Amino acid sequence: MVMPIVNVSAKILLFATLRDKYGVRELEVKCDGTVRNLLENAAKTLNKGFLARIYDISRNKVREDIIFTINGRNIKDIKGEIGIKDGDRVAIFPPLAGG
Amino acid sequence: MAGGYVGKILKVDLTTKNVSTEPIDEGVAKKYLGGKGYAVYLLYQYIKEYELKGLSPKDIDPLGPENVLIFATGPGTGVPRFPSPGRYHVMALKAPLTGSIGSGNAGGKWGTSLKNSGFDGIVLEGVSDTPVYLAIVDGKAEIRDAGDLWGRNIFDTTRVLTSVVGGKNTSVTCIGPAGENLVPMAVIMNDEHRAAGRAGLGAIMGSKKLKAIVVSGDQKVSVANPEEFKDVADRCLDALKKNPVTGEGLPTYGTAVLVNIINNVGALPYKNWQTGVNPDAESISGETLSEKYLIRKNMCWACTIGCGRVTNVKSGPFQILASEGPEYESIWALGSSTGVKDLDAVVKANHYCDELGLDTISSGSTIAAAMELNEKGYIPEEDLQGLDLKFGNASAMVEAVWRTAYKVGFGKYLALGSKKLCESYGHAELSMSVKGLEMPAYDPRAVKGIGLNYATSNRGGCHVTGYTIAPEVAGIPEKLDPLATEGKALWVKIFQDFTSTVNSTINCLFDTFALGAKDYGELLSAVTGWDISEDEILKIGERIYNLERVIINRLGFDGKDDTLPTRLLKEPMPEGPAKGQVADLEKMKEEYYKLRGWVNGIPTPGKLRELEIEV
Ligand code: SF4
Repeated sequence: MVMPIVNVSAKILLFATLRDKYGVRELEVKCDGTVRNLLENAAKTLNKGFLARIYDISRNKVREDIIFTINGRNIKDIKGEIGIKDGDRVAIFPPLAGG
Repeated sequence: MAGGYVGKILKVDLTTKNVSTEPIDEGVAKKYLGGKGYAVYLLYQYIKEYELKGLSPKDIDPLGPENVLIFATGPGTGVPRFPSPGRYHVMALKAPLTGSIGSGNAGGKWGTSLKNSGFDGIVLEGVSDTPVYLAIVDGKAEIRDAGDLWGRNIFDTTRVLTSVVGGKNTSVTCIGPAGENLVPMAVIMNDEHRAAGRAGLGAIMGSKKLKAIVVSGDQKVSVANPEEFKDVADRCLDALKKNPVTGEGLPTYGTAVLVNIINNVGALPYKNWQTGVNPDAESISGETLSEKYLIRKNMCWACTIGCGRVTNVKSGPFQILASEGPEYESIWALGSSTGVKDLDAVVKANHYCDELGLDTISSGSTIAAAMELNEKGYIPEEDLQGLDLKFGNASAMVEAVWRTAYKVGFGKYLALGSKKLCESYGHAELSMSVKGLEMPAYDPRAVKGIGLNYATSNRGGCHVTGYTIAPEVAGIPEKLDPLATEGKALWVKIFQDFTSTVNSTINCLFDTFALGAKDYGELLSAVTGWDISEDEILKIGERIYNLERVIINRLGFDGKDDTLPTRLLKEPMPEGPAKGQVADLEKMKEEYYKLRGWVNGIPTPGKLRELEIEV
């Protein structure tokens, strides 16, 4: 079966040490609707290390310690298929807490 | 005496000026450790004594001679290489803002210095008729005249007394004008910028006319098993350094790093909790604070994490040469809750709170409640006396802070706290408080477990009683869905119990992002020489939490008070990731009571027996 080609655009926002490290607060990224492709395309603008920092390529999922949210919902809390839709706001945080 | 304890408690009657010493009771220490736990035990003895004399705890005036104020350290306090060991706890039989038990925890170095001065804790009874301060130097305590200090701010008082008393490891805890003026949101401040906050502990000191407690000395704290302690402490400190939160996140950005993530999940209360999404969060965020205001980092005594910030405002109407903070909660209360997006103003208001001795959370929240009352037309113009309290008005917010401390103009209404303020204008529903204590910066409509914790916290709306934000937002120790209610009751109970032990140890709650009950068992066993298992750590915490609950029951609180403001229970979140959600309290509360062994918010006799609590 031929998969339909998806072309969506999402806004990625970086926070805390990730913002320091990649020197960018937010960027608009086009992708095929998958988290992996979104991050691969972002890494082209940021740098190669970005993909590996956020995504565990061998396990094909976002790294355990990263707080990865789509429209404010942590992907660990989203039931069912996780995909990027046009206009989504993807906020990525390093491990953090406070009080 | 077991390791970790100096072995003595100082007892001061401010009415008679009698000063005496009591030994630490090892049996009590084994059951309640120190800090909060030991203090809760002592407070319960006062409740029993008052009841025997025919005085109902409900009739105790929080600002009268019967109220008891306790400063307490734990076996971990002042022990070098114990994780974050500089802290102390303050407990009061009755807090002026709430009428419930008073409880506050502070960092800095005062806790360690108290032990250096020769005491594990101080119990204060009675009231002095003239202003005094207490000087404890090398095991000797003296009540001295504080006439010249009355009216002075926190910074001046601290500097003057540090130099007057002199000595080694000298540290000052004191009140400012807010405490002297009996503002029920006044805090006790040590080392200039560290606060034992919430519910008016500073006003209790003010009512006792006790301006300050200065401690000094070089008494060391011994450890029962030094070799064993070295191994455990090394392992724990290493874990803290390697943990990304305690080793990198908190040291780099401090607590203010939470502003953006809490806003991102739609839980950052904005404009007196009308919504959980603040469009201007970035301008008051930890990232902005670090970029534009940070001078250097700071830490409490011997802390490996070091989350403190020294900041300034370089120019403009809110210029400050150097201050500390603001912490996440203070930024939220003085900034987001009031709709103020000017971080200069928030830093200034936070500085005023430190200088005058005010609780930032309650002060900011009360100003926010007044802003909503005013915008809805509920406050007559003559009451405001020209104070333009509108959401987003930065200068009015800053002015409102000092007016609260001095009870000047509209400040005399603000100084009531949000509950009484809103009640007095006929709109109690606009006070965002639990048991009269203003809630901290997480909206329970977007993070359900924290709502149950606010509702059931013994001291009132408090996040650090059981900080379930760790699992619900940060995913520590595991990720829980913030919008789910299933299983949250057990998490809240365990967090409340464990935190009670941490506050009796005492070290910093932030250590628990990397260390668990097993680590605490091993650390405390090595320090004290007792055998404290992981299970015992949680049992001690549960015992403390239940005895504290017994006390608040005697003060008149029960299940009806374990609730949340109507806005959170009835008004759906208007926007963001939690759009349409309400707090869902009742289902979680029922399960929580079952797990606790409580009926209508009251521990059953069977539960108390099981926990070996003698009532
Ligand atoms: S983590 Fe921060 S608040 Fe806690 S003891 Fe260390 S410096 Fe103080």
